[in-house]
Amino acid sequence: MDERTQRTIREVAEELGLTVMAGKEGLGQVVTGAQVSDLLSYVMAQGRAGDLWVTIQTHPNIIAVAALARLAGIVVAAGFDPGEETLDRADEENTPVLVGEESAFRIAGRLYELGVR
Amino acid sequence: MDEEPLAHYEFPILGRAYFLGGRASTSVKRCLTEAGVDEETIQRVSVACYEAEMNVVLHARSGYVAVSVYEDRIVVAVVDQGPGIEDIELAMKPGWSSASEEARSLGFGAGMGLPNIREQADEMRIESTVGQGVQLVITFRRPGRPSQRGERRDG
Repeated sequence: MDERTQRTIREVAEELGLTVMAGKEGLGQVVTGAQVSDLLSYVMAQGRAGDLWVTIQTHPNIIAVAALARLAGIVVAAGFDPGEETLDRADEENTPVLVGEESAFRIAGRLYELGVR
Repeated sequence: MDEEPLAHYEFPILGRAYFLGGRASTSVKRCLTEAGVDEETIQRVSVACYEAEMNVVLHARSGYVAVSVYEDRIVVAVVDQGPGIEDIELAMKPGWSSASEEARSLGFGAGMGLPNIREQADEMRIESTVGQGVQLVITFRRPGRPSQRGERRDG
C-alpha cells in the first residue's frame, strides 16, 4: 500500500477540517479503511479494525460498536451533534469522535481522495 | 459435560435501555482480554455478543450474558425474559426484524443480528418459549487448541 495512505486520525481530522469532540487518546491510531453506514449491525458485520466510520447516528451505542469492532474512530457527518453522553463514553473507550458539517457522501469522497480505501 | 470453565463471567442486560446497549459486551471483551484470549476470537465473540445483547435490549424486559472460557472454546449464553420468538427460522432470515420504528430510526433492527451471530460462531443454538423468553447459546472454538471435550483434565 502507498505509504501516503497511512494517516492517523489526527491527520485525517486536520486535512478534512473535522473537529475532534472526544477520544483524544485514540487520535494516534492509523486509519486503514472506512465504512459509511447508519445501520449498526452492518458496521458490526463489515467493519474492520482500523476503519474510520462515517455516520449520522449520534447516540452512545455507536461508541460500543466502534470499540467492539475495533474501529479507528467515528466521523459524525452533516452537522449532527453527538450529545454529552456519547462523548463521555467515547472518552471512556478512547474512541475518537470527529464531527463535520459536510454530508456523509462528501466526507467519504474526501477520505477516498486522501487515499483511504 | 462436567468440565469446569477456566473462567466465568456474567453481566446483566436491561431491556429497552437502548443507550446502555453494548455495555455488557464491552465488559465481556475486557474480561476476555484480561483472560489472555487471542484477539481474533475476542473480535468474533464481541460482535456476536453485541448483537445478542441488542436483541435483549430491543425486544425483552431483561436478561443476562454468561461467558465461560474453556481451554479450547468460549461459550456465550444470552438469556432473556421477554416475548420470545414465534418463528425462529423467520427470525434467522437476514433482513427480517420485528423491531419498533423507534429502534429502526436509531439504526437498530436491520434484521442482521442473528445472521451476524451465526456468521461469527462455530455453533449456535437458540431456543424460545413464546411469552417467556429466549435462550441463545453460542460457541467459539479457540484456534490452535485441541478439543478438550469428553476428555478428562488432570487436576
